[in-house]
Amino acid sequence: MTDVTITALPAAPLHALEIWSNPAAVATRFKKAGGFALPAIGRSDGSDALRLIRYEPTVWLVEGDVSALSGILADDGALTAIGGSVVRVQLSGKGWRTLLMEGGVFDAENPNFASGCSAATIIDHVNVRLHVVDDDTCHAYVPLSYSEAMIHFWTTAALSLTR
Amino acid sequence: MINFSFDGKTYQAQKGDTLAAALLRNGIGLVGRSFKYHRPRGIMTAGVEEPNALVTVGDGGRTEPNTRATDVFVYEGLVAKSQNRWPNLSFDIGAVFGLAAPVLSAGFYYKTFFGSAKRWMFYEYFIRKAAGLGNAPTKTDPDHFSQRAAFCDVLVVGAGPAGLSAALEAAEAGKRVILVEQDNILGASLIRDGQDRDGAWVEATQARIRAAGGRILSRTTASGYWEHDLVTLTQRVAEPGQIPMHGVAQRLWHVRAGQVILATGSIERPMAFGHNDRPGVMLSQAVRTYVRRFGVVPGKRVVIATNNDDAYKTAYALKAAGAEVVAVLDARPAPAGTDSGLPVYNNAVPLSTKGARHCLKSVTALVHGLTESWDADLIAVSGGFTPVVHLHMQAGGTLDWNDAAQAFVPAASRQNVTTIGGAANPDPVFNVVPVSKPKKSFIDFQNDVTLSDVDLAWAEGYRSVEHLKRYTTLGMATDQGKLSNMAALGRLAEKQGVAIPEAGLTTFRPPYTPVTMGLLAGAGAKDAGAHVRRLALYDVHAAKNPIWQPLGYWFRPRAYPVGSETLAQAAMREAKAVRSNVGMTDVSTLAKFEVSGPDASAFLEIICATTVGKLAVGRGRYTFMLREDGFVFDDGTVWRLDENRYLLTSSTGGADRMATHISYVRQYLCPHLRVSAVNVQEHYAGIAVAGPQAKAALAALIGEEPSRHMSTVTAMIAGVPVIVLAASYSGERAFEIYVEASQAGPVWAACEAEVAKQGGALYGLEAMEFLRIEKGHLVVGGEVDGRMTPHDLALDKMLNKAGGYVGASGLSRPALSEAGRRQLVGLEAIEGDIPEGAMLVTGEGVSPQGHVSAAAFRIMDGGSIALGQLTDGFARHGEELIATSPTRGQMARVRVVAPHFYDTAGERYRD
Repeated sequence: MTDVTITALPAAPLHALEIWSNPAAVATRFKKAGGFALPAIGRSDGSDALRLIRYEPTVWLVEGDVSALSGILADDGALTAIGGSVVRVQLSGKGWRTLLMEGGVFDAENPNFASGCSAATIIDHVNVRLHVVDDDTCHAYVPLSYSEAMIHFWTTAALSLTR
Repeated sequence: MINFSFDGKTYQAQKGDTLAAALLRNGIGLVGRSFKYHRPRGIMTAGVEEPNALVTVGDGGRTEPNTRATDVFVYEGLVAKSQNRWPNLSFDIGAVFGLAAPVLSAGFYYKTFFGSAKRWMFYEYFIRKAAGLGNAPTKTDPDHFSQRAAFCDVLVVGAGPAGLSAALEAAEAGKRVILVEQDNILGASLIRDGQDRDGAWVEATQARIRAAGGRILSRTTASGYWEHDLVTLTQRVAEPGQIPMHGVAQRLWHVRAGQVILATGSIERPMAFGHNDRPGVMLSQAVRTYVRRFGVVPGKRVVIATNNDDAYKTAYALKAAGAEVVAVLDARPAPAGTDSGLPVYNNAVPLSTKGARHCLKSVTALVHGLTESWDADLIAVSGGFTPVVHLHMQAGGTLDWNDAAQAFVPAASRQNVTTIGGAANPDPVFNVVPVSKPKKSFIDFQNDVTLSDVDLAWAEGYRSVEHLKRYTTLGMATDQGKLSNMAALGRLAEKQGVAIPEAGLTTFRPPYTPVTMGLLAGAGAKDAGAHVRRLALYDVHAAKNPIWQPLGYWFRPRAYPVGSETLAQAAMREAKAVRSNVGMTDVSTLAKFEVSGPDASAFLEIICATTVGKLAVGRGRYTFMLREDGFVFDDGTVWRLDENRYLLTSSTGGADRMATHISYVRQYLCPHLRVSAVNVQEHYAGIAVAGPQAKAALAALIGEEPSRHMSTVTAMIAGVPVIVLAASYSGERAFEIYVEASQAGPVWAACEAEVAKQGGALYGLEAMEFLRIEKGHLVVGGEVDGRMTPHDLALDKMLNKAGGYVGASGLSRPALSEAGRRQLVGLEAIEGDIPEGAMLVTGEGVSPQGHVSAAAFRIMDGGSIALGQLTDGFARHGEELIATSPTRGQMARVRVVAPHFYDTAGERYRD
């Protein structure tokens, strides 16, 4: 059996940060204020206080305290609250990669998909965003309406998980 | 020992036995009845190519018919039953069809059962009773089926010596490797023959593959090869009929491989001779497998018939196991080599067999032109080897003819696939042309096709191998011609007077071996293939036990019946509560987009066909959206929340389409705009409060005077921040309250308490439909069906006169302004109730001029009303028509009116 635990994390403020102009200037301002660069495509960065996950070409998912971001964005972008629409599900244990292959189409077993990586994919027909926290932990961002079904799906799949 | 049952009788098997091995171990030779003639059949092979020994395994919902006894491993309590026999396997009344074989030849159905389709329905009942395989289970399968993706650099199919070596080399070179094997242990031919590599080598090799990070899947068959080197694997997690340890019975893998190596080996061919189908006729390698792998000797006096060297190994194995090899019939003219110590007859081919009590009794052969017979209870046959090229062909590969092996071998492929081992280099054989009488010389055992059937098809003009296949049913059913195709091709080539490669080939289609329907459905088998989308307030609604309605992937309350109310009664009560007092409903599923930025209004004026830019902060308006061809595809409302921030709502059913449209406009049409458009459909839960008392209810909830119609404010309800939109879909003064979904519970509870205090009620989708039809509001998917322009829907006065919106150019096409277009109308019944979906006609026999898109009853006054689309409808108000629904057998006389039946002046919105 492959070890994995599925846990729905408490609701948290999440925002979509979109940059529509002067991306380089925004990136510079962000790095200066935040201490880390805006993550590239397929990447995430930050800490528990403020984490950014590249969501779309011009959009980042922001998790944590966004109070400083409006000033950084100025007139070059906007923040939109989306926390109500997403359930964060923590997949912990060595088996999270195998679990994500169930009903999936994305190569979560690739060792290059490591800590600090993110992906947008489809799992069992549901659009899911993934963020690798560390070797033993991955966070999945699941649409609220599908979260109950996906947690059930993963919990059931985990029972019969073998590599 | 392991207990299992066959046809109700309990037997014992040894660990690792296939059902076939266990049956042979218990002396059972008769296992099934043939498809058409109900001829007694035994076990012919030891692999997935088995055409005869088909059984039904398992009980109840786990029943799996047509399981090859050679492809199920015995487990404690396995229940197997024989098929296609009555009253029992040994005495089968259906065997009488064998006597009628001369008239049941190829094409029998086509020649006999003609006439109208109705007659076929009559014939079919008897045909199905008389012929066939196992019966499908009628109970629900209690098990789960999983579907999993996998990626690798190298996928190796087949874990024989070649496959194991290839997988090891790739894995130790640092590649991601998957090795699959359909057997439950690895080794393939090594299990049977050992040679210089024994079990220890197999064990050590798989340990090294695993140590190098390779994945090994046993009991897994590569069932299909698709484009872009996608290979599907079917994995037996539990054996057929077995209760799975962790709920999952089978797993379907979707493997995307950088390279595929096929080490699929070859399948031994039978020979065509008289009565070559009776129990006791087996393939040579299968006999050797039962002797060496399972320790089962299928016969005591054995005749070997061969055209190659390999069968001699079977003779030696049998001899070593204590059986008597009474003759080795070698079709080759000269001895194979050194003295084998066996009774070898060269230039010898079997002619026929005799049997009694479903056992083989003797074998007759033609030896140097003379007939000779031997008493024997087993004949082990080897007619050569057919490489397993199915996956190579499915990958778009081509084949070459190997004359020495008398077989097709893999050639070039347009995908990254290589074939190695026995499948690429089959052993040489001597070509044998059948000399037996063709009538009882079977070539397709599963479908009872004989040489004479091929001859008959040829005589009747069937020249193409594809036509031959369909006319004779050759190569169909569970074995898909694995044993029969080459024999049929040989006979066809003989008739055509050409070499086999010129006779043609049939198509190799997936799956390689049968796949259960449950596996294809996967986890979705339990909920029709899709997850249900749950409302944020699902639990709140569920506690009230509503009637649920599927709406796309959503489930929404349709009505909240009280006591014994029917749906119609509940919905009408709820609608009346809205008209007379106040009601509340869940509108969370509406599409919602937050649009921010200095260019937000410019962006929205491209999305929406109405003006947006002049909207004052705090105000909203109805809007609609066009496709680029000018037809309306959605509608909703747009609200200016702030100077540079808007909320756009649109229909539930069109939410995903609208999200795609917005993304398209943002990224392709307007990448230059300084705007952010974010889908917040699920971020906000929505609650609508509607009715004459809605304003009072809302005032009590937010503690201030509610905003006027089509205005918006932010407020607090139950300590939670909300956005209140004063919008109405019901025709009453109404408010939509939007709250972050995770905090919706307390807001709903507060609203429900206040509505109850006002004497109101909850209402569901059915009441909402009554209300909107009476008011004449559109619904996407109903009145907005993708064929209506703004003009057709009487929305043209709202169009942005400055243009610039998506669809403006398409809308200017002259054809869209011509007479004769369907237009939105109201309909009221003169006589009868208007059936929804009815056609609108002027009289009997006249072509329809429109249809009813939605029907309801006036809520307070009664009377049937409807919305519809009618040719030139705007000019036909007052005209009487017939609304007829032949499929429902319903009809009503209707009058065409304006599509507004309630408060046409909009007085109810005003305070």
